[in-house]
Amino acid sequence: MSVVKKKKRVSKKNKKAWGKYCDIRDVEEFLEDQRLEERLGKFETKPDSELFVIDTGEEAKADDEVEDKKPLSAKLQKRAKLKELPRCFEVLMPTSKVQDPNAKRNRVNPIGSKKTALSKLSEKRKTEKKIFEKKLEEAKKNRKMARDKKRKEKKVRENFNLDLWGNDLPEAKGIPETLCHEFISTEAQLHNVLTTQRLRPKPPVAKTLATRPAVEVPHPGVSYNPSFKEHQELLQEVGQHEQKMMKREAHLLRVTTGMFRRVTQQEKENQWKEEMSAGLPQPHNPANDPEPESETDNEYKAINPPVKNKKKDHKARRKQKEQILEKERLKREKINKKKITDLYKLRQLQSSISESEQQQASSRDKRVQTRAARAAAAPPALSAHAAPRPEPDFVDPALLSGDLRNVKTNSNLLRDRFESLQRRGALAASKVMMKKKRKLKSYFKPGHKVTDNDIEKFLKRNAEKK
Amino acid sequence: MVSKKKKKYSSGEGAQFMTRKAALKKLQLSLKDFRRICILKGIYPREPRNRKRAQKGVGGIKTLYHTKDIKFLLHEPIIWKLRELKVYQQKIRRARAMREYRSMKKYLRDYPEINIDHIVKERYPTFVDALRDLDDCLTLCFLFSTFPSLKKVPRDQSMLCRRLTVEFMHAVIAAKALRKVFVSVKGYYYQVEFEGQTITWIVPHHFSFQPQNKDEVDFKIMSTFVEFYTMMLGFVNFKLYHSLNLVYPPKLTSAFSADTDKDLIDEHAYVSERIAAMNLSLARLEGANDAEELPEMDIFNTEDDDPQKLEEAKQEAEKVKKLKTMFKGLKFFINREVPREPLVFIIRCFGGEVSWDRDHFVGATFDETDESIAYQIVDRPTMDKQYISRYYVQPQWVFDSVNARSLLPINKYLMGAVLPPHLSPFVDKTKDQVYIPPEERALNDPNFKPLNDDQSGSDIEEASDEDKEDEDEPNSEDSDAEEALAKQYQQEVEEDSTSDEDEDNADPEKKKIAKEKKKAMAVTTGVPHKEHPYQKEIEDKQAFRLREKLVRKKHRNLYKSMKAGQEQRKKEIWLLRKKRRLHDEKVKENKKNEKRKQKAQSLEASV
Repeated sequence: MSVVKKKKRVSKKNKKAWGKYCDIRDVEEFLEDQRLEERLGKFETKPDSELFVIDTGEEAKADDEVEDKKPLSAKLQKRAKLKELPRCFEVLMPTSKVQDPNAKRNRVNPIGSKKTALSKLSEKRKTEKKIFEKKLEEAKKNRKMARDKKRKEKKVRENFNLDLWGNDLPEAKGIPETLCHEFISTEAQLHNVLTTQRLRPKPPVAKTLATRPAVEVPHPGVSYNPSFKEHQELLQEVGQHEQKMMKREAHLLRVTTGMFRRVTQQEKENQWKEEMSAGLPQPHNPANDPEPESETDNEYKAINPPVKNKKKDHKARRKQKEQILEKERLKREKINKKKITDLYKLRQLQSSISESEQQQASSRDKRVQTRAARAAAAPPALSAHAAPRPEPDFVDPALLSGDLRNVKTNSNLLRDRFESLQRRGALAASKVMMKKKRKLKSYFKPGHKVTDNDIEKFLKRNAEKK
Repeated sequence: MVSKKKKKYSSGEGAQFMTRKAALKKLQLSLKDFRRICILKGIYPREPRNRKRAQKGVGGIKTLYHTKDIKFLLHEPIIWKLRELKVYQQKIRRARAMREYRSMKKYLRDYPEINIDHIVKERYPTFVDALRDLDDCLTLCFLFSTFPSLKKVPRDQSMLCRRLTVEFMHAVIAAKALRKVFVSVKGYYYQVEFEGQTITWIVPHHFSFQPQNKDEVDFKIMSTFVEFYTMMLGFVNFKLYHSLNLVYPPKLTSAFSADTDKDLIDEHAYVSERIAAMNLSLARLEGANDAEELPEMDIFNTEDDDPQKLEEAKQEAEKVKKLKTMFKGLKFFINREVPREPLVFIIRCFGGEVSWDRDHFVGATFDETDESIAYQIVDRPTMDKQYISRYYVQPQWVFDSVNARSLLPINKYLMGAVLPPHLSPFVDKTKDQVYIPPEERALNDPNFKPLNDDQSGSDIEEASDEDKEDEDEPNSEDSDAEEALAKQYQQEVEEDSTSDEDEDNADPEKKKIAKEKKKAMAVTTGVPHKEHPYQKEIEDKQAFRLREKLVRKKHRNLYKSMKAGQEQRKKEIWLLRKKRRLHDEKVKENKKNEKRKQKAQSLEASV
């Protein structure tokens, strides 16, 4: 007897509640069936042979056989399981019956599977044709090409495929993307930049480097076909420069070498003789003998006569005193007189003083200016060596042909550049030190030495043989 | 408590400077590496104000660096790279010593490269900064592009220089940026203008490589400079090409692409390749319009808008505009004795087409027989076969035309003529108060007509005594051709100018009628306010004097001396002009007398 359940009032307000208390199994089953049909094909379209099997009673037989079979040992069970697909890979297997859209999918035998007869044959043929070796070589070549290409692409130095000044975005400055916001202060942004990515403001360059031009404007006289006037100006400049240099050289010569007395070879020898023979008894030379004195009375005579204390008398003393006083008086008088006259000369004095002062001031100004100009043009002293002074380019009038075919130059552009760098202070002037070649002392082994004697002997022997 | 005694030189100039040795110790680098990194980063030694204090009391002259600069170097990531390289070099050295050549080769192949693009960016934060500092870079790169592989210069450096310089020249050609050329004994001076920056550089004359004295130049240092400069030039090229809508690594001839295995060993073959590369036109980006016209110059109302200055600036802009298309549509043929490189560069810069002998050099675009060639550039006295349809000029005509910013009359530059001097375009034009002889003035501006020029003088003579003409012509055969050409030129000019007038002159009668009709229609004219020019001049002068009075006492003396100097210079110029005039008149008189004498003699002889 079925007990009729008392109907319970339930809410079917929304979909969830409705599904909870309604029996929708039949609907779901139907849908499931439909999906299955979709997957497996429609039930009606299938032929009977696929749907039905003729019962021949074999199944029962098989059941009997199973019963006869011994249960597998644990080992065998394990082996049997080896053939099975592992459970973990089941996910990878297709569950659907939908056909593989790629009909020509290349089936790859798993590695380690047995070679078929066909594959054996083809492999043999390939080895005979050395196809494998060729493949290997090609692969190697390809790998190298790929590597080279990759390396070349990486080389910024040859590609320059980078717009260096293009993007001034904060990301380009190494600021992390999370900090690129208008509310974050620049200090905070910069604080978080990696040290290696931070673009620091470069310290300012030296004044000489910033102000002096790299390529100086050429003098118009260095043209390959200059006008007469400009060429003459250039020659004048060169001449003046040369004169200055000569003067300087002469000065240096006078101040150094010229300062010392020269001693000839003869003089030097004589000096040496004299020095070496100092203190030695000289051979007697009658010419050197002191002259015999005319009046020799054998009386002793001092070289300087004795001093006599001769007193002045009163008169002489008085005269002397008077003279001194008179002199003093005259001097005083002169000074007093001058004082009075100077009063009238005041304006003249003043003007002369002011004039001399003006002169001094102007010359001082000039000196300061020239010194400043020289300092502004001077090469910076960066090392113990001085940078070479700039020299005007000399264009030999004989070398000026006037046409472009026969232009001759006497300047070295590379040296010019090098010196310009030094003059601007980009390089400390230096002397290029040449590496000295190590001198190897060569000598013969005593037994291998060939002397003149040996040669003679050899020649003699040869002659004898003939 | 007694405070701790301050150590000497721990502050002030003593602390600001650092000797090179101390810097080496601080950075833990070898001298070689230190030099390299200093050049790359642009850190240079400094001159102290007080050397004794800066050297911490040590005598002598030592190379000093700012401590701040060295600290700046300390953060450079390249320093780590340099240290790594040191290890690498040791490995290579070891492999060589152990005769493990296989591994040595591998090490050499995988030698790590230092990337210095961030340094370029750091040293030149904006593109204009980089352009400003391009003089040295270009000169050195052009110089190194002529070098063979040397012992202390990396093998690929000169190759890279060659490529980059050609690329740069192409950028100049595309932008039409060349402004001035000067052919000196040292080499060619070029001046270009990019983004308002003038860049000047020197290209050496093409001789074969001149061996350098070993003790004059440190090649290692120069090569390091070039290493940095090539990097910089590469990025500048990239930027320039992109701003000109060109594809950056341009497809030049095969000798310049980086992936060729064979090098051109023959120097001449290489040079001709380079010139041929310059004659190519580059690939433009898609959608880029070819003729991008610069907009008209904007005029801003500044405080001191001097109308004269404004006018000058306008004229300058107009001149530059004209210069850019000076050779447009003209075909040039370069004879084989002329140095082609500068000429191809210059002519292409101003829109001309160039070609040369197809049999001698590669890259010729048209033959000598082409009738549309306008100019043939020759540097020899005579030629066997000449075409009537073209002018035969000497190469200097091209250079002088560029400097004059217009096509100069060719009569002074014809084949075999004695050339006028090649003047420098770099002279300072601010010194305007100097005497310029009429010949030079004619060179500088072609519009200037000297009052007593030789030719005009001779014309006057011919007009005055026509009977002499018959005798004159056979006497001066050599000057005849020149005159004829000059006349032809003048005629051409006149024709150009008259062609417009012809239309206006048509039917003068009609015009007259129209005028009369107009008169009949006219309303009685009001009397306009007439300005007395003389009166105005006087007023202006008075106003000027008043303003002069207002010059401050501080500047009065300066003003006075300035005025006096101006007067003096004016007087000098006037004097020299007068001298010249008198001299010319005298010469003319003498010539006339001589001619008269000759005529008399010939008459006597005939009688």
